[in-house]
Amino acid sequence: MANFVMLNQEQHADIKVIDERSQVYGDNVMYAMTFPFEFRNVQGSYPIFFQKNAETGAFFPVALFGFQEAENLFLDDSGWNAAYIPLMIRRQPFLIGFQEDSTAKDKKKAVITIDMDSPRVNTEKGNALFEHGGMTEYLSQMNANLEMINAAHEHNEKFINAIMELELIEQFTLDVPLKDGSTNQLLGLYTINEDKVQELSGEQMQQLNSQGFLMPIFMVMASHSCLRTLVDRKNEQTV
Amino acid sequence: MSEQVKRVTIVGGGSAGWLVAGVLASRFKEQAQGGIDITLVESPDVKAIGVGEGTWPSMRTTLQSIGVSETEFMRECDVSFKQGSYFKNWRTGDDDYYHPFSPPGEFSQVNLVSPWQQMHNGSSFADAVSPQIEICRQNKAPKQITTPEYAFILNYGYHLNAAKFGEFLKRHCVDNLQVRYISDHVVGINSNDDDSIKSLQTKQNGDLVADIFVDCTGFASILLGEHYKIGLNKVDRILFNDTALATQVVYKDDQQPISSQTTATAQSAGWVWDIALPQRRGCGYVYSSAHIDHDIAQKEFIDYLSQTIPEAQAQDLSFRKIDINSGYRKNFWHKNCLAIGLSAGFVEPLEASALVMVEMSAKMLADEFPVTKELIPIVANRFNKKFTEHWEQIIDFLKLHYCLTERCDSEYWVDNASQSSYTESMLENLALWQYRPPWHMDTPTIDALFPSASYQYVLCGMGYVSDVTQLPTRSYDQQLNIAQQIFNDVHAKKQKMMSALPTNRELIGKVRAHGFNKI
Repeated sequence: MANFVMLNQEQHADIKVIDERSQVYGDNVMYAMTFPFEFRNVQGSYPIFFQKNAETGAFFPVALFGFQEAENLFLDDSGWNAAYIPLMIRRQPFLIGFQEDSTAKDKKKAVITIDMDSPRVNTEKGNALFEHGGMTEYLSQMNANLEMINAAHEHNEKFINAIMELELIEQFTLDVPLKDGSTNQLLGLYTINEDKVQELSGEQMQQLNSQGFLMPIFMVMASHSCLRTLVDRKNEQTV
Repeated sequence: MSEQVKRVTIVGGGSAGWLVAGVLASRFKEQAQGGIDITLVESPDVKAIGVGEGTWPSMRTTLQSIGVSETEFMRECDVSFKQGSYFKNWRTGDDDYYHPFSPPGEFSQVNLVSPWQQMHNGSSFADAVSPQIEICRQNKAPKQITTPEYAFILNYGYHLNAAKFGEFLKRHCVDNLQVRYISDHVVGINSNDDDSIKSLQTKQNGDLVADIFVDCTGFASILLGEHYKIGLNKVDRILFNDTALATQVVYKDDQQPISSQTTATAQSAGWVWDIALPQRRGCGYVYSSAHIDHDIAQKEFIDYLSQTIPEAQAQDLSFRKIDINSGYRKNFWHKNCLAIGLSAGFVEPLEASALVMVEMSAKMLADEFPVTKELIPIVANRFNKKFTEHWEQIIDFLKLHYCLTERCDSEYWVDNASQSSYTESMLENLALWQYRPPWHMDTPTIDALFPSASYQYVLCGMGYVSDVTQLPTRSYDQQLNIAQQIFNDVHAKKQKMMSALPTNRELIGKVRAHGFNKI
């Protein structure tokens, strides 16, 4: 179980964080949430789809790493073999938390929290968090990542609302025929309906473009070519 | 070609009037585009009766077809999910059974009644053939927040606040569907030479001329009943209940579970409905005034309520008395006027048939809409035939809940079991069912209100056994194997759903906070 606590220089002075990629550290995940601002990098390596949040029903984009629970086809003994690793993976074991702001009611202050039960967290090896009475460069970078994620959540919501309103999202079932004759079926995924995109009026296109949503839509469609890579990796594994 | 039908005027604006308006206006283009003028005139003084708080699953299709968002509907009309009916004490006075909205597993192919009789191991028929019962017992919802709007994991209808529902539909019809709304008194009726209605005289808006008039004026039935003097086929010989005593009960706190079904608990001279909305329960004792005095009925009702709230609080509730004149019109459509809703007929709400009849009437009017005036008598004829069939089936099916009772603790139950109160068609059905359980040929039309699955649930619930051994069949063992497989599937599904489905309260909270997606 995760055990997130607010990061605190005094308490966590000796803490180090391992940033190697391995199953040992819980990187064997099938997908991770992603954000439009990193689509350009993500679509080079992974197919992007949409999923629903089980608690709220809200859609969010995901980068797909495998075809079944706990399968990450990019992960092996040498690490994570891809040109880009999505931010939601790289942020671990940190998470943004919110604290009541004593200066302004109804406002919440974003703070860094750390999962003390994560196998990445120790006092022996990895990146130190604090030095000379301040953050290390590593932690500053992590902090910047978390801030980006925080802003991106809001942006995601606007992106989803815009494409939902234009009814550009559709459900689909991913059937992956493998070399050994078996078929992997993935349910619960959603994608961009390309026909609907082609039917958009000039005005709608312009509107999307001015909101910065047009490019991400095309990035999602382009990312589907990565499915081939994913299938190849799966076939290599099953041989 | 004779004159085209271009104008429909609906009189009365309860749930019935606005549902009819919504179904017609969402189907046909508006008058400005060469379509049909849909006008609804409603008296500013007459309050909608505001009963009818339970719907069938058909309401999902109806609302979706008229372009309503399920999320908005649920938020604005105090809606909860209804997955069926639960009957307590109808057989012996100490028993219960469910009539869920989901049909038995593989219902189109396999009749599970006799396999269940042979292999049930103590589980009820409904439990053996549908995962829905256990979900209802746990006050769980029929879907998740990730399930798209109007889609389901288990089939469902709604419990709703009828007064808010009428207002909600009105806004949708006027704002989004361009229904012309007139708030005025209808003070007279002008006729054509052939006795059809030419126009309605109003106090402030002059004469409202139309080609078809829909009477949604409730029990008053001012067009079909009062003007045309079309009488009622009374059914009080079969269904004795003629009075309802209604009240509302608020929850102790906002953590109390919201039930997944309408509960109907048998009393000494009728039964109590119990309908759970998110903020309150709606309860009512429907009884036969020939079998019980009003004061005693009220006391019995208070005893029922005192099982869930403090007795002092139950004593203090205000009760509304409603007279039920059980019956349905001899004709529903006469000349160019048809009645939909309470004006067409009413029986006790035992299977919540009132709103579904409105939906079906509105749908048939839209499906068979007479393009020209010449066609009106033909459509009227078909409409009358169809809805007479529906009413006859409702009467038979409601009576089925009573007639198999083993209760003899009051005259009411003894009289209900007496064959002199049965209909001819019921006697025939029951004769056949002695040797085979209900099956598809018992409900031969595709739009039958109650599928034979409903008969199975009630008969098995009431402990009725069809003796299939009198007609030995080949390959019976094979049938049992198939049935066993289905029972196993139902059981596996039940386990899955039990962990995956939220409680009604949780899901209703999420609908308020997040809403359902369209996909």
